[in-house]
Amino acid sequence: MSLNKTLLEARQLVVKYKNHCAIDGLDLSVPAGCVYALLGGNGAGKTSTINTFLGFNRPTSGNVFIDGESPEQNPAVVRAKLAYLPENVALYEYLSGVENLTFFCTLAGIRLSRQHAHDLLANTGLQSDAHDRRVSTYSKGMRQKVGLAIASAKQAKVMLLDEPTSGLDPSAANDFAQRIRAAADLGMAVLMATHDLFNAKQVADRIGIMKAGRLVEEFDAHTVAHDELEHKYLAHARGLL
Amino acid sequence: MIVAIIRKELLAVVRDGRLLVLAFSVFALLSGFFLASISEYQQLQQEKQAVGASAKQQWDTQGVKNPHAAAHFGIYVFKPDSPLASIDPGLRHYTGQTLWLEPHKRNGARFSPAADQGLAGRFGQASAGFVLVALLPLLVIALAFNAVTLEREQGTLRMLHSLGVSAMQLLLGKFIGLLLAFLLVLLPAMGLAMIILYRNFDLTGDDSLRLLALGASFFIYYAVFAALAMSTSIHFNSSRLALFALLAFWSGSVLIAPRLGAAAAEAWMPIPAATAFWAAIKHDIQQGLDNDGDHEKREALFNVQLLKQYGVTRIEDLPVGYAALKRSFNDGYSERVHTLHFDSLSDAFERQSRFIHIASLLGPSIAMRSVSMTLSGMDLAHQRHFEDAAENYRHYFIGLTDDWDRERSHGTEHGAQGHDDDWASVKAFRYQSPSVGFALHHSLADLLVLLAWLVAALIALLFSAKRLKP
Repeated sequence: MSLNKTLLEARQLVVKYKNHCAIDGLDLSVPAGCVYALLGGNGAGKTSTINTFLGFNRPTSGNVFIDGESPEQNPAVVRAKLAYLPENVALYEYLSGVENLTFFCTLAGIRLSRQHAHDLLANTGLQSDAHDRRVSTYSKGMRQKVGLAIASAKQAKVMLLDEPTSGLDPSAANDFAQRIRAAADLGMAVLMATHDLFNAKQVADRIGIMKAGRLVEEFDAHTVAHDELEHKYLAHARGLL
Repeated sequence: MIVAIIRKELLAVVRDGRLLVLAFSVFALLSGFFLASISEYQQLQQEKQAVGASAKQQWDTQGVKNPHAAAHFGIYVFKPDSPLASIDPGLRHYTGQTLWLEPHKRNGARFSPAADQGLAGRFGQASAGFVLVALLPLLVIALAFNAVTLEREQGTLRMLHSLGVSAMQLLLGKFIGLLLAFLLVLLPAMGLAMIILYRNFDLTGDDSLRLLALGASFFIYYAVFAALAMSTSIHFNSSRLALFALLAFWSGSVLIAPRLGAAAAEAWMPIPAATAFWAAIKHDIQQGLDNDGDHEKREALFNVQLLKQYGVTRIEDLPVGYAALKRSFNDGYSERVHTLHFDSLSDAFERQSRFIHIASLLGPSIAMRSVSMTLSGMDLAHQRHFEDAAENYRHYFIGLTDDWDRERSHGTEHGAQGHDDDWASVKAFRYQSPSVGFALHHSLADLLVLLAWLVAALIALLFSAKRLKP
């Protein structure tokens, strides 16, 4: 896969809920191999952006594309290309890790052998003794790993992450960041909505700051120091910029 | 994809400890009521057989007496209940268990268990049929009320949507999975009931067909509740609200609708009081129907025709017994009046019964209750069928005794006599219950109501699918 090909794109995207404008003229593109961190306070429009790429929100105007396909016009094609990890990866409590993975993959049209499912979970770093345990006993980090295994099984080109490290301990968050980085290095485009500046700086290639539905600043993550990033974020949050 | 969803739903039921408790409760409840019903059914049948045999033996050994006097001894006949009555005893508690057949008069059924019971008995009348119609929908609700709200609350709905699962696929899978899970919970109790039924009774092919139709009807009934529960689960964002709404619907269907319907039917389509009913029969026999003239006028006309028929001028000169002829004539008229009034009463009951069905707008339970009673052979239609057969038998044996009386006397002489051989020659009452076709014919309106509810519930589910958003 070409690492320059744009896999995620929003063009002049506007999303309104009744009288409230959640996204206001967003232009965004994420090429293959890039991790894009979308920063912003609550209500800035990060989750609405993710939901629009998922096809859960209909654009009021403008367009979104995933690998050139519109979620509105070709929902099935788009969903086959993307993987989604919310803040809390929702799994069925009474099923084991392997059963959850197999079930979600079946719904995505992928047939997994039991061994393949075990391998996928093992690749995410989930301990083997947990594979056949019910997920009701799993920590949040372990659930994230099942979510990553689903994304891996789907061979998704695009991953949408909504506050993925919220509530994870530093070690788990670091482990998760490394796995996301590794996925991007293999050519996946990753859009990550987050409050976690440290995680964003650690894993992202590009960072965008959203405020009141607008992308107010965008920069290369490698060219900005952590202090500077924190300053920019707070300045936007306090209305100083 | 749908198969995966069905499998997942079944797995959820199997692994959910609450479901095991529910299954055990259903098993205990249904088996308990069913075994109690079986015991009551067997006791009643034994009593009927014993009393019937004793009454026949007394009839057969009346000794030497006038045939008409023997007819006045009367014969008791009993309605042989279908073994399915042990599932749903229907109206058994309220309709009489026996008919006393005697000359001149058609009697109503008498000795209803409800009349014999004390106040305490009124608290113990629940049956397996009651559990199936009234309580098991609660189990369906318990299984389905959070089918979608839970997915929404736990976030799995977003996961499913992100994988491209359509609302229709999800709902179809869940609906089928839910019904299969419900059957799974029900299976042990149903299995036990079938084993007991087939081991204890000689079920005929007709009984098996009735059972099959009953099972299919109940399946439709539960599918209505399942579909409504699922669309309610989609409509409400919270599981608790969905549960409240479904319990309100259950109350309306199971508790309120039958009482409301019965009260409305009583108010708008009243049934005559027993005293008024019998008084009207007595009046019509005495005064005559239409232009028939009163009793005296009809009898005078009969005498004239009789003398002309036998070519004699005095009643005393008739070659056959006058009393028997006159009695046959009067009984014939009486039967005409009785038939008119009994048919009118049965029609009034049926009109009432149909009127109650207006309350089916509140829920499918009235229709299901009615189908269950009819297929179990314990409804008004089967009672009427039995009473009509008993009335035909009354005509037969009264006719027989009148023949003996007429042939063995002449003129106004009353010397006719019959013997034990005569009494024993009267064939016993053998009642042939109507076929499943009769039951289905009488259930047609209720089955259509059930199907209408199913269609409405599925349409509601279909429309709800459009509201299913993460």
